[in-house]
Amino acid sequence: MIQSTQRSRYPNWFLLPTILIFGFLFVIPTLTSFYYSLTDWNINRRVISFIGMDNFRELFADVKFRSTLKNTLTYSFSVTLTRNFLGLFLAVLLNNARLKGRNLFRTVIFLPFVISPIVIGYLFTAIYNPAHGILNQALRTIGLGFLANDWLNDPSIALFSTIMTDVWRTTGFSMVIYIAGLQAIPHDLYESAEIDGANGFWKLTNVTLPLLAPSITINIVLALIGTMKVFVMILVLTNGGPGYATEVMNTYIMSMFSLGLYGMGTAANIILSLLIVIVGLPVLLLLKRREIEL
Amino acid sequence: MSNSRKTYSFFLYLLCIALSVIILVPFAMMLVNSFKDMRESALFMLTLPKTPILENYVNVLSKSYFWRGLRNSLIITSIATLLVNASAAMAAFVIQRKQGKLGNWLYFALFGGIIIPVSIIPTIQLMMQTGIHNTYLGIIIFYTAINLPFSVFLLTGFMKTVPREIDEAALIEGCSYPKMFLLLIIPLLKTPLVTSTIVTVTNVWNDFQAPFYLISDSKKWPIVISIYNFVSQYYTNWGTVFAFMTMAILPVLIVYAFLQKHIIAGLTSGAVKG
Repeated sequence: MIQSTQRSRYPNWFLLPTILIFGFLFVIPTLTSFYYSLTDWNINRRVISFIGMDNFRELFADVKFRSTLKNTLTYSFSVTLTRNFLGLFLAVLLNNARLKGRNLFRTVIFLPFVISPIVIGYLFTAIYNPAHGILNQALRTIGLGFLANDWLNDPSIALFSTIMTDVWRTTGFSMVIYIAGLQAIPHDLYESAEIDGANGFWKLTNVTLPLLAPSITINIVLALIGTMKVFVMILVLTNGGPGYATEVMNTYIMSMFSLGLYGMGTAANIILSLLIVIVGLPVLLLLKRREIEL
Repeated sequence: MSNSRKTYSFFLYLLCIALSVIILVPFAMMLVNSFKDMRESALFMLTLPKTPILENYVNVLSKSYFWRGLRNSLIITSIATLLVNASAAMAAFVIQRKQGKLGNWLYFALFGGIIIPVSIIPTIQLMMQTGIHNTYLGIIIFYTAINLPFSVFLLTGFMKTVPREIDEAALIEGCSYPKMFLLLIIPLLKTPLVTSTIVTVTNVWNDFQAPFYLISDSKKWPIVISIYNFVSQYYTNWGTVFAFMTMAILPVLIVYAFLQKHIIAGLTSGAVKG
């Protein structure tokens, strides 16, 4: 029991800075958001009154909001899947010890992740420029001119273009997490598999992938959460357009805010939180179950 | 080396180089076009400028808001990072050692902070009511709040590897808890504190959303907002825009070039262990 009394002597006031700062600017706004989302709070109103679920009802009745939800999920799932496939492929490629200069390649591929997304966004508005952008230039040069497109202004392809931009920016991050996971796999597992006469594919499906499960979990969950919160990339590339073909939750919330519809904007924010929990949590639990402890 | 292996490694290199080109071409385009005049830069060609001009850079460097943006980013990022590290280390120390009710509740609440997005409109409202909207103090505390969860998790995880015997020996010597924390624990937390610094600095320096909503006074805008406003103003002159963006990311590129190993390890270690 000596140990437990000793434990209890650690001073709780050490927790105070975190409680105060996190409590003040994260917990309080999060809790009050539930109240605000049930009110008609807007820029023209001195007194705000309680209106129950009206904001939520109105949001779900709005065609634009429904397509915003769909766009957010499409964006999130597409970026998550693509960057994980590519990231895993690159990790296996650049984990090859015989490949000289692999560190340089890793550094280059990770580079976009440390640059502010707003800069990446502007670079890609230039790249996607229909008349002179280097994407269309390149396609025409290699004889694929028929694929050239007005990448950000064609409603059928604009969302795809924003997705590819984010994949370009974040694949390096997924890759590096997979490399860390690959390096944690004990080498003798591969050796004993080789002695048993296993081929490359068998090793991939029976050794690498199962033991990589923790990296897969964290990579997918982080990607899902991060991409559902996307904001500046869309703002800069398309500002939600053309029409509302690329409108996502955070640009929608911004437009509610600039219209002065504060209660409605807060309700949309709560729907975003729920969306992240509803999608993120089951994925996390499902993937966690499949993990093998080393 | 056998022939087939040689071809294999040849194609491997080819693939790696092709991938690197895909990453580097946008940056190359930005750089070469930043030395071109308005008409030539609007063609976005990867070719070198016919006659390289420095006018774009002169234009950018003469803008007081470019320098002010850098200075503001530096102030906001450095203070927020210090606050995150100090608060997170203190919290992690007691959460892990004490395993008391309060600490456990805090840990659970912080987990919510990792998943749930900030409610931006109520945050603005709260900051206006308390008079810290549109101030350095306000945005610094905001960044501290949203970056704390990750750092607390990282440091709490690492605290488990710091043996309790160190605390016990210090207590027998008559050392107080604050003194023990400052003199013995902090030096042992160096590795995760470097990671926490890298993660927080990257998050805060590159963030756009918070200053966009929380700072309306142009004198307090960080560099990302300067970029946004500069581009809205000069969007017809891509040469100048590219020069502005090149100068704005230069500090990041220099730090990345020198610390890339630590940065890559730091930004991902938390994720893997977390």
